[in-house]
Amino acid sequence: MTAYRLTSGGLVDRGANLDFKFDGKTLTGLSGDTLASALLANDRLLVGRSFKYHRPRGIVTAGASEPNALVTIGKGASTDPNTKATVAELYAGLDARSQNRWPSLKYDFGAVNGLLSPFLGAGFYYKTFMWPAAFWEKVYEPIIRRAAGLGRVVLERDPEAYEKCWAHCDLLVVGSGPTGLMAALVAGRAGLRVILADEDFRLGGSLLAETTRIDGVSAQAFAEASLAELRSLPNVTIMPRTTVFGWYDDNVFGAVERVQKHVAMPQAKLPVERLWRIAAKRALLATGAEERPLVFGGNDKPGVMMAGAMRTYANRFGVAAGRSVAIFSNGSAGYQAAHDLAAQGVEIAAIIDSRSDVADVAPAGVRLIQSGSVIDTQGRQRVSGIVVERSGFEETIACDAIGMSGGWNPVIHLACQRGAKAVWSPELQTFLAPDVGNGLVVAGSAAGRYTLVGCLADGAQKAAAIAADLGFSAPAEAMPVVEEDIDPSFTALWYSPGAKAKAFIDFQNDVHVRDIGLALREGFGHVEHAKRYTTNGMATDQGKLSGINATGLLAAMQGISPADVGTTTFRPFYTPVTLGALAGTSRDEHAAPVRKSPLHGWAQKNGAVFVDSGLWYRPAYFARSGEKTWRESTDREVRNVRENVGLCDVSTLGKIEIFGPDAAEFLNRIYCNAFLKLPVGKARYGLMLREDGMVYDDGTTSRLSSEHFFMTTTTALAGGVMSHMEYCAQVLWPDLRVRFCSSTDQWAQMAIAGPKARLVVQALVEDDISDAAFPFLAAGIVALKGGLKARLFRISFSGELAYELAVPAGSGEAVADAIMEEGRAHGICAYGLEALNVLRMEKGHVTHAEFDGRVTPDDAGFGRMVSAQKPDFIGKRLSTRYGLTAADRMQMVGLKPVEADQHIRAGAHLLREGAKPSTLNDQGYVSSACFSPTLGHDIALAFLKSGRERYGERIVVWDKLAGADVVAEVCNPVFVDPGNAKLNV
Amino acid sequence: MTMPYISRHPLENRLPLEPGIRAVDHMDVPRGTAIATVMAMDGEDAAVAAGLAVAGDMSLRFVAPGEWLAVSQSDTPEGLCRNLSLLLAETASVFDQSDGRVVLRLSGPNVRRILAKGIGIDLHPAVFEIGTSSNVLCGHISINLARTGENEFELIVMRSFAESLFDDLRLMGREFDLSADFSAQG
Amino acid sequence: MASLIHCPHCGVRPKEEFSIRGDASLVRPDPEASDEAWHDYVHIRSNPRGRYREHWQHVAGCRRWLVVERDTFTHEVFSVTDGAATAREAGR
Repeated sequence: MTAYRLTSGGLVDRGANLDFKFDGKTLTGLSGDTLASALLANDRLLVGRSFKYHRPRGIVTAGASEPNALVTIGKGASTDPNTKATVAELYAGLDARSQNRWPSLKYDFGAVNGLLSPFLGAGFYYKTFMWPAAFWEKVYEPIIRRAAGLGRVVLERDPEAYEKCWAHCDLLVVGSGPTGLMAALVAGRAGLRVILADEDFRLGGSLLAETTRIDGVSAQAFAEASLAELRSLPNVTIMPRTTVFGWYDDNVFGAVERVQKHVAMPQAKLPVERLWRIAAKRALLATGAEERPLVFGGNDKPGVMMAGAMRTYANRFGVAAGRSVAIFSNGSAGYQAAHDLAAQGVEIAAIIDSRSDVADVAPAGVRLIQSGSVIDTQGRQRVSGIVVERSGFEETIACDAIGMSGGWNPVIHLACQRGAKAVWSPELQTFLAPDVGNGLVVAGSAAGRYTLVGCLADGAQKAAAIAADLGFSAPAEAMPVVEEDIDPSFTALWYSPGAKAKAFIDFQNDVHVRDIGLALREGFGHVEHAKRYTTNGMATDQGKLSGINATGLLAAMQGISPADVGTTTFRPFYTPVTLGALAGTSRDEHAAPVRKSPLHGWAQKNGAVFVDSGLWYRPAYFARSGEKTWRESTDREVRNVRENVGLCDVSTLGKIEIFGPDAAEFLNRIYCNAFLKLPVGKARYGLMLREDGMVYDDGTTSRLSSEHFFMTTTTALAGGVMSHMEYCAQVLWPDLRVRFCSSTDQWAQMAIAGPKARLVVQALVEDDISDAAFPFLAAGIVALKGGLKARLFRISFSGELAYELAVPAGSGEAVADAIMEEGRAHGICAYGLEALNVLRMEKGHVTHAEFDGRVTPDDAGFGRMVSAQKPDFIGKRLSTRYGLTAADRMQMVGLKPVEADQHIRAGAHLLREGAKPSTLNDQGYVSSACFSPTLGHDIALAFLKSGRERYGERIVVWDKLAGADVVAEVCNPVFVDPGNAKLNV
Repeated sequence: MTMPYISRHPLENRLPLEPGIRAVDHMDVPRGTAIATVMAMDGEDAAVAAGLAVAGDMSLRFVAPGEWLAVSQSDTPEGLCRNLSLLLAETASVFDQSDGRVVLRLSGPNVRRILAKGIGIDLHPAVFEIGTSSNVLCGHISINLARTGENEFELIVMRSFAESLFDDLRLMGREFDLSADFSAQG
Repeated sequence: MASLIHCPHCGVRPKEEFSIRGDASLVRPDPEASDEAWHDYVHIRSNPRGRYREHWQHVAGCRRWLVVERDTFTHEVFSVTDGAATAREAGR
């Protein structure tokens, strides 16, 4: 075969040569070409190898259904495998490589699979690679993957930018052929907000390849004029290079726009692809129809192409697929291709028509063989002839390309993505979309109205109906006049009988007729089973060409109607979507927001090493010069807080302002302990339960005035507690007069802890904060020297004399700086999360390491806090149920290793000495553990069966992960200052 | 010890202290905006709304039924809260959020397209009209969005998220060379 | 990819703005109610195919708890109402 560029015609710019590379060789195409049309113009027909047998394969289509011409485009990290050459827009410098061949496209070792093909039939993988099981992962799969893979994923970081965007419209029109253009025009003129999207870089759809005249001008000129009008309408948005790939709930459509896939050097400020979510009041599917391949012997040889694709290459791209073309057709479309090619000077070797007695007329001088069947093709890497059978006689006809035309399949993919089953039309011999409701209407060829007149009228009518439905008035308009319309008639032919070579159904996955028969015989005849068993329709094209023929064959082999076989399930995406587009900008620092404390700058100045804590960045520790490990810094910080004073940022705690006459009552119901009588000016530790009686969260709540409380929650559950409170206030007790809002971001809050804390704080605060004036658990508004109003709380997580000071967030850094300045004489240090954690463990204070959802207040030693007097609170009723009050529940205890230099790790389990590790023997677990600089050895908090009765007992801390068994002594969980002498000073 | 505590804006690390060159699409960051949460007590929604409607010198942003953000460029945080408390007396609770919220103003012919990269609601002026405001998700971050003009929007974000939102908006606006600086008027 | 919920206070919003709690028909029992009543309320959930009323919170919007009535099979949403109003009507 020799494909070549025609001397004239086509929508390519013959003055604009574009150099590109294919498998390292530099070739030249024209502006307006796809990679496929440019390859054809250069007579490069062999573009890939098939998946299983590595058979040579050529370009089959001129669009998105292409099964063969998958290439890898780009270099380095910007490489895109599995790009369809038939839709890839040509640009200068495009660098494409063929796939699935080794060492080269022409000489491929994998082709030996073709010789083994009798053993590689349907279900081959399932039958062959069964055992030994261990072989699958290590031997079989790697080999299959290397031999089979379609393209290679590039593991480098993708340097390109992607983004996502929302769009809203009254009407989304998918497809810009005659139907879509007409619908967009009618809706646009009526004033609807219209989006017209098309996957092609040039809009016009099938009009770009038609030779007829519409309204007195060429179809291309008609399309251009229509588009010009649409562009002039401010309410119409035209989106070329945009594939609408999915239809989702509530009429939201997913689409991907290839913004810069057609340029050699993408602009940095633009994404290469943009993922659109289009919320459309209505949508009109004008996706046209796909020409159906014919299943005949040797139909996979390079040079066998859809007849319609040949028309497109000739009429749109000015490229002839061959010098001598044979047409094999079961309908009028094949004759149309023959006429168009002949008009361009291409020789038509013959038309073979499977029908008899047809009215279609072959071009002058062209031989027509009716009731014919193509049973084989000749040639090795490209077609050199066909073997035709008629009435028992075989004949070989020389040709260098074969155009096949098997009828039409409406492209109904989107309409069937949400569960609707395609419906067989006996009249049209194809599947149509059923009525899928108001949101999405199918029109034109996609609805089986294949003629141009039908498309134009259907698009206009359906758009007008949508406009009226949405309250717009669309004036009746005269339809454009089509001079010579197309004839879409055909007689379905699922299999051309008498094949002398493999007759392929799925070109990409090498599924041929016998595979379907085998699947049927072996009990996999259901269309979904047959797909999996044979891999028909499983590849990147998802059966766009092969699905219908598989259904037809399954029906024919069983003597039933295709209606009874049905189609496989349509699912998004219509065509593959890159992971980059799906991720959009959500990568690196944009993958999740970072929350920064108002004291972030202060922490940085003081040498903080930050750690992710939910979305927050929090200082883990403050490294000083000479300190080599986090432990050294942490130990110093802990000692300094115990001996002098430290400052810790606690701004990330959840903070909630609670107002209203029923605020106290509300708190009384959401905490398990009493809040009704909390005096103004006092803070109280509060424990919140879940309704099942387990601890949910804890924190302090202070009463700032009779109807104003200030609650703090843990950092981790700030959002959860807020939602929980909103649920309680809105749904459970809507009549309580309480309102609240988050003030987490309003306050910079710092803990100043240590024996010298008062000295430091008093230096900044006007008010008297002596123990007499501001005792433990005091809370109130104070004035800082200079006038700034602040909130001061005498609460302690560390067990030391401590204050928490809250100032408006903007002033936080300056106040923290002032505290550090003032505290320098007292040896102040900044301390981070690690030190905070050690300090609280030494004091036996709990966090969510202890409150893991399985712990009751009593388990954690708070049993007496739970109010028995309150009539109701969240969690009250189920706290009393059997099991939550059992005597052998695990209770929180302290642990210290018997050998002081041994280590305990959180997560370890507790066993009696001598007991074998088993679930039955499990006595409990370690929830938190650390090295205590104050005590000089490890300490741990743990939950142990009946633990509070077992102080002094020796227990084995069993840590399989660390491979260590440590004997520890059970003790009171408060390791430091159990009498609270340090708090009340 | 007496210290004048300097108030810091969370975007000081992101923006020059002096105004720069403005592109047609611009993000303007006012420094001193007074913002307060106003929460009507049960059954007082209409009374509070009526009271707020006549309050001068501030804009109202809808948060939820019976809840608004009151925003003032001219008042101080204390002044705004005091005025609101006097005006609304027993009918509403008022809480100062001036330090906890950050205001970003976007203006220009392409801001709708910029915002559509993060915001899922229809920003067509016939749908989201001038004067409308609402809490909405912008990318991963919840904000209050108000339309202050045909091509002008005001975003209010929690302080801790301000840098992330700012970075996201810069990325969204990159296509249109979105510029940003602190408001000249301080 | 997307679905849209019509918040009665904020208008049409993508589902990402919401969080879902579950069955909205549950009524918190009286504190003195039986073990069975409380067990049912806290632990037992039906998982119906078809119409279902759920509590959703518009967390990124007005933060109101809403009652969303939808079809768990088709995802069709029939109504969205404010949870407090619904609770008041039910006399909770």
